[in-house]
Amino acid sequence: MRVFRWGSAFDAFRDLEREMDRLLHNVHMTHEGLRIGRPFPAVNIYELQDEFLLTAELPGTRVEDLDLSVSNGLLTIRGSRTTTAEVGDHEFRRSERPQGRWERSFQLPERVHDTAMFAELQNGVLLLHLPKAPSALARQIPVSDGSEALIEANVTPVPE
Amino acid sequence: MTESEPTVPSTMAAPRAEATATNLPQHWVCTPPIDIFETPEGLVLRADLPGVTAETLDLQVQDNKLTLLGRVVPQAPEGARLIHQEYHVGDYVRSFILSDDVDHDRITAKITNGVLDLLLPRTPKPEPRRIQVRAN
Repeated sequence: MRVFRWGSAFDAFRDLEREMDRLLHNVHMTHEGLRIGRPFPAVNIYELQDEFLLTAELPGTRVEDLDLSVSNGLLTIRGSRTTTAEVGDHEFRRSERPQGRWERSFQLPERVHDTAMFAELQNGVLLLHLPKAPSALARQIPVSDGSEALIEANVTPVPE
Repeated sequence: MTESEPTVPSTMAAPRAEATATNLPQHWVCTPPIDIFETPEGLVLRADLPGVTAETLDLQVQDNKLTLLGRVVPQAPEGARLIHQEYHVGDYVRSFILSDDVDHDRITAKITNGVLDLLLPRTPKPEPRRIQVRAN
C-alpha cells in the first residue's frame, strides 16, 4: 500500500520516492469514522528555503519512546505508545486511540544534509528538521568583466 | 456518558465557514479520538490533542454537557510550502453528555504530551439512613 509520497512537484523527487510504511500488526487503528485508513503517525512535509520540515502527530509519546535513525539515506521513525495498558479490556467504554508499536520509513532525497538533522518533540508533535545540503541551496556565481580579463591575459608575458 | 450532538460534521475535519468568508487562512476543526474507561473512583476520559497545551485548552461544563476545545498553533513557520499532507492542523472540538452520577464539581483535568486526562469522579452515594419506627 503506497501511503507516503515525497511530494510530487519535482521530477528529481519522483525518482527518490519510496514507500516503506509498515503498520505493525498490533497497532490498533481508530474506528467510528474518525481517522480510518490513515497511516499512524500521520505525517506532513513542508519545504522551506533551507530545509525540509517533517511534522508528525505523536500524542502521548515521550522522547524515550521514540527512535529516529538514518541509514543509507533511509529515515526510520519508530515508537510505541501503551498509555492504557494498565486498564483491563472490560473497563473500556470507548477505545478510539491507536496503541502499540509503529514504524515508518522514508527515503530521504539526496539533497538533505543527513548529519545535520535534528528533531523536537513538543506537546505530542514531532518536528524533524532536514536541512538541505549546501549544494542544493541557490549559489551566486560571481561574474567578472570579461574584457579586462582578456586584456590581462594578453599582457601576461609568455615564459620562455 | 454519551456523546452529544456533534458540533462538527462526523468527518475527520471540516473547514470552518466563517474563516473562509473573512478571507483568513482556512481553518480546520478535528474530532479527536478518545478512550473512556472506568476506575473505582469514576470514569477517565483520555483524548489525543497533539499540539494543545494547558493554556490553549478550554473545558466547559454547562448543565450536563462537557465541551472540550483545544486550539493549536501552526506547526510550520510562515512561508513553508506543504509538499506532502496526511493530516490537517486544526483545533479540536468534541462534546459529551455527562450522566447524573458524575460529580461535576470534582472533575479534574491534566494534559501531558498532547494527551488530555479528564477524571470524572462518581457522586458519592448517600449513607443509608435508618428510619425510626415508633409504636403508638
